[in-house]
Amino acid sequence: MTTKRIKVDYMARVEGEGSLDLHIEGGRVTAARLGIFEPPRFFEALLRGRGFAETPDIVARICGICPVAYQMTAVHALENAFGVRVEGQLRALRRLLYCGEWIESHALHVVMLHAPDFLGFPDAIRMAAEHGERVRSALALKKAGNALMRVLGGREIHPVNVRVGGFYRVPSRAELAPLAEQLRQARDRAVELVRWVAGFPFPPLERDYEFVALRHPHEYPLNEGRLVSSRGLDIDIADYETEFEERQVPHSTALHSLLKRRGAYLVGPLARYALNFDRLPEHIQALAREAGLGPVCRNPFQSIVVRALEILYACEEALRIIAAYQPPAVAAVPVEPRSGTGFGCTEAPRGTLWHRYDLAADGSLERVRIVPPTAQNQPSIEADLEAVATPLLGQPEALIRERCELSIRNHDPCISCATHFLKLSLHRR
Amino acid sequence: MSGVDAAGRVLVIALGNPDRGDDGIGPAVAARLEGRLPPGVALLVRRGDLLGLIEDWAGVAALVCVDAAAPLGEPGRIRRLDLATDELTRELSLASCHGFGLAEAVELARVLGLAPPRIVVYAVEGCRFMGGTALSAAVAAAVAETAERILAEVGRLLRPAAGVAGP
Repeated sequence: MTTKRIKVDYMARVEGEGSLDLHIEGGRVTAARLGIFEPPRFFEALLRGRGFAETPDIVARICGICPVAYQMTAVHALENAFGVRVEGQLRALRRLLYCGEWIESHALHVVMLHAPDFLGFPDAIRMAAEHGERVRSALALKKAGNALMRVLGGREIHPVNVRVGGFYRVPSRAELAPLAEQLRQARDRAVELVRWVAGFPFPPLERDYEFVALRHPHEYPLNEGRLVSSRGLDIDIADYETEFEERQVPHSTALHSLLKRRGAYLVGPLARYALNFDRLPEHIQALAREAGLGPVCRNPFQSIVVRALEILYACEEALRIIAAYQPPAVAAVPVEPRSGTGFGCTEAPRGTLWHRYDLAADGSLERVRIVPPTAQNQPSIEADLEAVATPLLGQPEALIRERCELSIRNHDPCISCATHFLKLSLHRR
Repeated sequence: MSGVDAAGRVLVIALGNPDRGDDGIGPAVAARLEGRLPPGVALLVRRGDLLGLIEDWAGVAALVCVDAAAPLGEPGRIRRLDLATDELTRELSLASCHGFGLAEAVELARVLGLAPPRIVVYAVEGCRFMGGTALSAAVAAAVAETAERILAEVGRLLRPAAGVAGP
């Protein structure tokens, strides 16, 4: 029997450190593993005994790309535990901050990390020599997202202005006004970006994912909603643990998440889009159709188009919020700690992020559970690898390797978040 | 320091994270430079997202960077690299987990025609980069000399012969 092993020890253009290990025996893929070897960071343990007020700034440190996702999920969970609802302009400002993170994270991934794969460049620098205007445009988009983060969050990375109950300081209308012009230009750039990436050569592949995402009665989901799936799941976020489980696997320092009844599922842009297409404005739906997408996209390679559409959505949503903004009377609503359990679930750029906090009467944390999107996507990413590699088994190893790396980047894995970067090993016998 | 308008003709950027051992050389040198640079010379401290550097140095005629360098066996050694003649190899600079360190940011800016005409990098070799640790003794001992050499560098760049206008 012929056995072959393809191994990439250290993958580039992903957030964090991981590897890919593919085993081929007798003409079929027998194992496809996304190895995550970053050391675990024990955030859930180090939060025990800390005060609730410290939590948003500690969890922000889990990720330098999506700190807002961690902050938002934490404050929602803690407010849930304390019986507090943050509404009106404070809620809108949170959504605005989240839009900033989506724009900067997606722009970085779409152009700097993912696009070079489709155009045959080893990295964005080499791509910039031929597509300089696209790269400049991506930098400008990212800058617009960063500007939102800076104005609302106090700084671009690891914002410091988010607190349980609202913010430490809210901006004036005059502070938001200059952002609007930047966002109008960003919106036009996002439309161009959608049309550019829609023309990339996408390998044909349809995956039968169970999509999981938040769904809100009126909004494309960012901060809240029910957890729904493409196979009928529709639960309150507090019931997450009854439907989902995490398992340890030997090749990863991140836990693998599974639906207890059905196994692997997918979170992230493809899932949000498929489950919330009707929540996108009609002109964005029309642009999606122009880009060759229906209301559901099952080709993981086309996730780059969905991300570009989400950049556009985030720019428009940010503009809508800024136009309607009236500074609230207080920067935060009062919060009284009490014992109990709180749940938070928001849509990080890479997908659903779920937090649970068990609190003592003084508001200190007794037990914490954080389920990041990349951990949830690991089983589906590995299933993707098998699906992508199988039709290519007779092809040169370099092609299999290249396609598998692209396949992983389809999901913009944030390995640092999940650890709990990427190496490909192909074992062929 | 952070947030200073980078419209000055000479810009000093200190890179690094003070909570990751010798990666903190940049902020430590910046603290020494605070208030000592000639008027109009901006000083920025940056860590993390180095792609943003390309925005920071827009319109700048000369850039001086200080950053930690990967271990090569001589912790605390200060290397001066004039990018007009020297190459800032990706191996020398510390890779960020996002793949965009100083070398990549400079390379990308050059491809896009956005790099300052003069770039001088002071790379101080580190030996430990663990989260939550301070500068190693060898690197801490190099902070003062690095700051003095950067002050002298800025002085040279501001001389008319350097071709960089003063403030």
